[in-house]
Amino acid sequence: MHRHAYSNGHAAYPSLGGSGTFSIQPHNAWHHDANFRCCCRFQPRSQPALRRRRQLIQRLLLGGTLFCLFFFFFFPDMRPNLGSGPLSYFASTEDSQLETVRYYDLNNVQGTARGWEREERILLCAPLRDASPHLDMFFNHLKNLTYPHNLIDLAFLVGDSKDDTIEKLTRKLGELQADPEPKQQFGEISIMEKDFGQKVDQDVESRHGFAAQAGRRKSMAQARNWLLSAALRPTHSWVYWRDVDVETAPFTILEDLMRHNKDVIVPNVWRPLPDWLGGEQPYDLNSWQESETALALADTLDEDAVIVEGYAEYATWRPHLAYLRDPYGDPDMEMEIDGVGGVSILAKAKVFRSGVHFPAFSFEKHAETEGFGKMAKRMKFSVVGLPHYTIWHLYEPSVDDIRHMEEMEKERKSKEAEEKAKKERMDKIKDQFDSKSSEWEKDKNEIHNLVQNAKKEAEQSKKEADSPKKEPEAPKKDAEQSKQENPTPAQIHDARGEDEKKPAEPKQ
Amino acid sequence: MPTPRSLRRQNPITFVLAGILCIGFFLFFFSSSGDDTPAGAGTRQTKDTASNVLSPPSLPFRKSKSNAPAAAPPVVHYHLNNLTTSRTPIENSETVLILTPLVRFYQEYWDNLLKLNYPHELISLGFIIPKTKEGNAAYSALQAQVTKTQSGPKNKRFASVTILRQDTESPLQSQSEAERHKMENQKVRRAAMAKARNSLLFTTMGPTTSWVMWLDADIIEFPPTLIQDLAAYDVPIIAPNCFQRFYNNDEKSMDIRPYDYNNWIDSLTAKEMAAKMGKDDILLEGYAEMATYRSLMTKMYDSTADPGAKVELDGVGGATLLVKAEVHRDGAMFPAFPFYHLIETEGFAKMANRLSHKSYGLPNYLVYHYNE
Repeated sequence: MHRHAYSNGHAAYPSLGGSGTFSIQPHNAWHHDANFRCCCRFQPRSQPALRRRRQLIQRLLLGGTLFCLFFFFFFPDMRPNLGSGPLSYFASTEDSQLETVRYYDLNNVQGTARGWEREERILLCAPLRDASPHLDMFFNHLKNLTYPHNLIDLAFLVGDSKDDTIEKLTRKLGELQADPEPKQQFGEISIMEKDFGQKVDQDVESRHGFAAQAGRRKSMAQARNWLLSAALRPTHSWVYWRDVDVETAPFTILEDLMRHNKDVIVPNVWRPLPDWLGGEQPYDLNSWQESETALALADTLDEDAVIVEGYAEYATWRPHLAYLRDPYGDPDMEMEIDGVGGVSILAKAKVFRSGVHFPAFSFEKHAETEGFGKMAKRMKFSVVGLPHYTIWHLYEPSVDDIRHMEEMEKERKSKEAEEKAKKERMDKIKDQFDSKSSEWEKDKNEIHNLVQNAKKEAEQSKKEADSPKKEPEAPKKDAEQSKQENPTPAQIHDARGEDEKKPAEPKQ
Repeated sequence: MPTPRSLRRQNPITFVLAGILCIGFFLFFFSSSGDDTPAGAGTRQTKDTASNVLSPPSLPFRKSKSNAPAAAPPVVHYHLNNLTTSRTPIENSETVLILTPLVRFYQEYWDNLLKLNYPHELISLGFIIPKTKEGNAAYSALQAQVTKTQSGPKNKRFASVTILRQDTESPLQSQSEAERHKMENQKVRRAAMAKARNSLLFTTMGPTTSWVMWLDADIIEFPPTLIQDLAAYDVPIIAPNCFQRFYNNDEKSMDIRPYDYNNWIDSLTAKEMAAKMGKDDILLEGYAEMATYRSLMTKMYDSTADPGAKVELDGVGGATLLVKAEVHRDGAMFPAFPFYHLIETEGFAKMANRLSHKSYGLPNYLVYHYNE
């Protein structure tokens, strides 16, 4: 159109300056042409027809747009996606911010010896049940871990808890993540709540009673599997299982175990004991090496039987990791094992990804962590224990111990009572003995007297004529003698324990 | 354009229309997309969305603003007690995770997947693809389709898609039919397959997953109601019958023939054979040199019988399989080692059985395998 203007000669208005005026000019000229049907050089042909056509096109466009609008309004699913262009800021923000596709390469998460340098993520799993009293201790351990916290994801499974475990856990985790220091904050944190309806109590007695073991281990295995299957992600290189009731463990435990670059690795687990029990004791007996005896035993058992270690019912003669501890041994020493204990297991995530889990059924006659070790071995993974690298489990006096302590107390009391009784008995015996001896003494005296009397009588009879007045003196002397040789019970009592004096006493 | 004149000339209807256009324009851009979806679905969507990239892959997540400092990941509670697996999965908003070990991509598979009429916002997809030349081709084909679907119409989008790549431990030279089915190759191949399945399963199953559907990439024809149909039986593990379409030269017409022989009921012969075997030997199905006389589900197909008939199975195949997530959560996986002389999916059925979860099959409900 502007070209029209120039060719019409109207461009000769440079002094007008304002471009607005300039642009209006040709339009006016053009309209003028149209309205008055002047014969100009560039007159469009057949004006009404053109206008009608244009109107038709406009109406069609308008109708089409309206139709599309209504259509999209009522069928929003048919709307085109505007992508992430600038328009999408006006479009529904919720939609475009939603990420639905994720790509992962599992070759990057195989796990290496120096995971902290390669930013390898660890999933820390802890099954909890009525664990409220131990949480403070556990969180102190968490805060002290030297492995980069943002690389650690935490997953808890709380089940069949009757105390305030969930509330306390939520609160403590909230505090953990609210830490102003970003380095203290952990990665993904999930709390799974799932009750399995276990009827077995978690107290130490029922936990370790032989009869309850198989069933308890199976439901414990179930809990572990539920936790793992819900929490394992394609980003994890390692999985660390940790019980909440570990009292003492090195802060560097993750790195220490990782450095060995084994598929499954466990430290030695002991527990401190009160002095009367010997000061310390192996705790976790589930880490062991397989023995011929145990294999032979396994063959004799039926399909669903579970061998549990540490009970006289199954004498397996296996070398236990716990018993091989030397407090001054090399902490890096490794030992091949077949069954593992669950207090503290570091495993490469690929072990779990390939399907190894905690059998909740009898797998090669074992369940839970021991079965886990067996299954890992079956799939040719390396399973290793560190006999001289020790962590310490909390000492809770078991019902046995409490009973034992009660017994000790009772024993002490009964010993006291016994000693008292013994003393009394001794006294009595002595009493009786002394009285007997005195009787014997008396008898002796009597006999003596009798003899003397007889002698005297004989003498008297001889000296009847000489001295008849001496006779009544003798019995009086006898009485005095017997009195001296029979001390009273009180006197004996005083003399007890002073045996040296005893013989002297009567002489006093 | 000659605006001044058209303003003068146009009749009022134009203004009304323009007004409607403007309103429509605003509505189009600013109305929230949740308006039309049912209330339940709307709330579910927000509930099942993670706020951090560190979240279960079975959930979509909201991207954080790139310039804002990353907030600490939140503490998330998952109530697994409330997770249901019922015979009415749609009514209970139960989520389904469809898992596919992918070697070759078939467009028919994807088309049928899109045709599933189970609410797509309840479906998460998981794929594992080997890092081979063949896998790369499948990967790019899949990626193209996923991108297209996830940016396409809303009701066709899936809740989330996870694509894993992994080196296969024993890369067989070829995935061709003949090579794959050689007996000596079977143990190695199926062990690798079992590991791939487990890797896929245990990394993608989230705390909100109710059902796991195993669907092989070469299953190219299945009914759109597949999930509901199988879930309606309300059993721990259920498999339809897997057939294959082919051109019957004798009858000069298209016909069907059995394909997946891994769905079977155990036989006395097979048990005796197993008892005599070494610890690391496995029983295989469908080989003449190893006649097990098991009752195969493919042989039970009868087009005239009740299409809903159900039989209990001792071994299952992985072609199409609907599993309650709790079966996998209890620990039932695909053994990559001989487990009771069984391996992979057959071993899975046995392991589930040891955990007291039973397997069933539908002899007259068919899905079709690709014909090579």
